[in-house]
Amino acid sequence: MLIKVENLVRKLGRGRSPLAGIIAALCLTLNVSAFSQDSLPQLDLDLPLRLDFSGSWEKDFRRSDNWEDELTRTLRIRQESAIRQQSSPGSSRSRSTPPISIGNLSLPRSRGRGANIVDLARLAEYISRQSVLDIVQTRDEIRIERRGEAALICGVEYERQQTFSSEHGVEVCAWDGQQLVFQIMLPDDLTIMHRFTVSSNQQVLNLLTRIYSKGGEPFNLIQAFNKYEAPRDEFNCIQTLSRGQVCNQSGADLSTVLDN
Amino acid sequence: MSHTRDTSSIRFLTTLFVLQLLTSCALPVPVPVPEPQPVKRLLVLVGDVNLIQAIQSPSASALLEIGVRVFGTAQKEAEEYEIGDWVFDEIIQKETQFLPHLLKNTLVDSRQWGAIRVIPDRDPSLDLIVEGQIVQSDGETLELQIRAFDSSGREWLNKTYADQSIQEEYPESTRFTLDNTFDAINFVDPFQDIYNRIANDLVAVRTNLGEQTLRDLNLVTDMLYAGDLSPSDFSGAVKENEDGLLVIDRLPSLDDPMMARVADMKYRHHLFIDTVDEYYQTLYEDIQPAYVLWRRYSIDQITEIETSQQEASQSDYGSSSGFLSLSQRYDRFKWSKIFEREFNDLAAGFNNELAPAFLELNSQVHGLTGTMEQQYREWRGILRRLFELENGELTTNATE
Repeated sequence: MLIKVENLVRKLGRGRSPLAGIIAALCLTLNVSAFSQDSLPQLDLDLPLRLDFSGSWEKDFRRSDNWEDELTRTLRIRQESAIRQQSSPGSSRSRSTPPISIGNLSLPRSRGRGANIVDLARLAEYISRQSVLDIVQTRDEIRIERRGEAALICGVEYERQQTFSSEHGVEVCAWDGQQLVFQIMLPDDLTIMHRFTVSSNQQVLNLLTRIYSKGGEPFNLIQAFNKYEAPRDEFNCIQTLSRGQVCNQSGADLSTVLDN
Repeated sequence: MSHTRDTSSIRFLTTLFVLQLLTSCALPVPVPVPEPQPVKRLLVLVGDVNLIQAIQSPSASALLEIGVRVFGTAQKEAEEYEIGDWVFDEIIQKETQFLPHLLKNTLVDSRQWGAIRVIPDRDPSLDLIVEGQIVQSDGETLELQIRAFDSSGREWLNKTYADQSIQEEYPESTRFTLDNTFDAINFVDPFQDIYNRIANDLVAVRTNLGEQTLRDLNLVTDMLYAGDLSPSDFSGAVKENEDGLLVIDRLPSLDDPMMARVADMKYRHHLFIDTVDEYYQTLYEDIQPAYVLWRRYSIDQITEIETSQQEASQSDYGSSSGFLSLSQRYDRFKWSKIFEREFNDLAAGFNNELAPAFLELNSQVHGLTGTMEQQYREWRGILRRLFELENGELTTNATE
C-alpha cells in the first residue's frame, strides 16, 4: 500500500495542476498518519488466517430449509430407494417391521436401535430455532453466541480442539478448510454436527446441522443467515463477582466504576 | 431489470454455496474421542489441627525473622489447557499474592516468632524464608507444596499440605448482599488447618535445632545481609561447611563502623519490607469478601457437578430413542455447558473485580516502577548503591 501511494504521489507530482498537488499532499499526510500508528495489530504467522465470520446474522427463512419439507424429501428418497431394492431381481426382503407412516408416505422403519429419521428431524428443528447469531472473531478465537444456548467457541488453530466435556456430552471443534465444524457427542451414540460456512464477501452465512444416531442415516438441515447491522449498545458493561454486571454509558472509563 | 438480474445472480451464488456445503459433507470430519476422565489423586489431608500458641515469649535467638514469599504455581503443559482455562489461571496467579498472607497471619497468631512479613522475593536480611507453590486451589480443595529454609541453607520443611472444605465452613455471610454484609472478623478460612499445620511444623523444627544453632543462625543472617550490600567487604565472612550449610568464618569487630552502617541499612530495608507487607495485607482485606464469595461459588459448582455425575450414572439413556429422549439428552448437555459457561463468567468477573486492587498494589511505592517484585529488586539496588556511596565517604574520611 505504501508503494502504491508513493507511486500515485509521484505521478501526480509530475503534473502541473494545483489539484494534483493538494491530492499529493493529502495522500502523503494520510500515508504518514496511517503508518505512524503504534496500535497496529501484530501478525502472528503461526496462526492460520481464517475467513471473517464476525458480525450479527439473521436467519433468511426463504433460503433456509423447512424441516418438514426436508423430512418429506428424505423420506421420499428412502422410499424410492426401498422400492428399487424390492423390485430388483434377487433382492431379499430383509425388513419385516411395520412401516412408518407420515402423511401419504409409507416407509420402512430404520434398522438398528438408532433413533428414527422423524425424531432426528424434530431434534434438528428443536436445536435450530434461533433466528439470530452474533459472532465475535479475533485472531485467536471465534465465538458464536446464540440466544438460549451456550456459546460455541473455537480457536483458529489447525488441530481439533475439545471445547467442552461433561458426563452429558463432549463437544469438539475443528476447521475443515475454511469451514468451522463443531461436533457434539451425546450419550447413547447421538451425534450433532454444526458446519459453518461464510461466503467470500462475508454477507451470507450457511449452517448445516447434521444429526445421526448410532451411525445410522443422518438428517441434514441447512439454514442461511444474512448479515445485518445490529444497533450499538448504549451501555458498556463489565461482569463482576459480587456486584453482578456493572455498567456505564458507552465511551466512559469502566475502571472508575470498579474503583467505586 | 437490474433488480431481476441481481436476484438471479444471488440465487446462482446461493445455489453454488449450498452445493459447496453439501459437497463438503463428504469431507472427513474429525472423529472425536472423549478424553479420559482425570484420575483423582489421593490427597493426604492435614485433618483438624489446633495452632500451637506460645504462652511465654520464646528466647531472643528463637524469635527468628520470617519472610513468607509470594507463592508460585505449578506449570501446566500446553496440551493440558482447554479453551477458557486462562481465566482460572489468572485466579490462581492472584491467589499466589494473598494466600501467603493467611500463612503469615497464622504465624503471627502463634506468637512464636519475630517479625513475619510477606515478601515478593527472597531476602538475605531474614532468618527464615517460607516458599510455597499452589498445586490445587478451588472452593473444595487446597493443596500447597511448602518449602522452608533458613539463611544458612538448612531445609526446615519440604512437603505437601492438603485440606478439603465442606459447604458448612462457608457461613451465610459469605453469600453477602446489601442487607447481609460479609463478617470478616468472625470468618475463619475453611483451609485454616493447613496454615496451622505448617506453623506447628516450623515450631517443631526450631525446637529440635537448639539454642546455639539459632544464635549462629542470627549471625549468619547478619553477615549474609552485609555481604549482599557489599560483597567485596564481607565475602569471606561466611563459608560452607561439610554439610553444605553456611557458617560464620570470621566476624568483624563489634566496633567496626561498617557493621554499624550495615545495621542502619538493615533497619531502613526492614522499614521498606514492612511497608510492602502492609500493601499485601491491604490487598487481602480489599479482596477478601469477593475471594470468599468466589470460593463459595466454586464449592457450589463442584457439588453440582458431583450430583450431576451421580444422576447421569443412574440414567438409562438407551431405554428410548424417541424425540423426548433425544431432546432431553440435548437439554442436559446444553444446560451443563451453560452452567460451566456461567461459572467461567463468574471467574472472569472475579478477576475484573480484583483488577483495581492489584493495580493499586503495583503502583504503591512512589518513585519505583513495575510490579511489586520489580520495585522490591529496584529498592535493594538503591540500598546497595547508597551503602557504597556512604561507605566511600567513610573510607575517605578515615584516610583524611
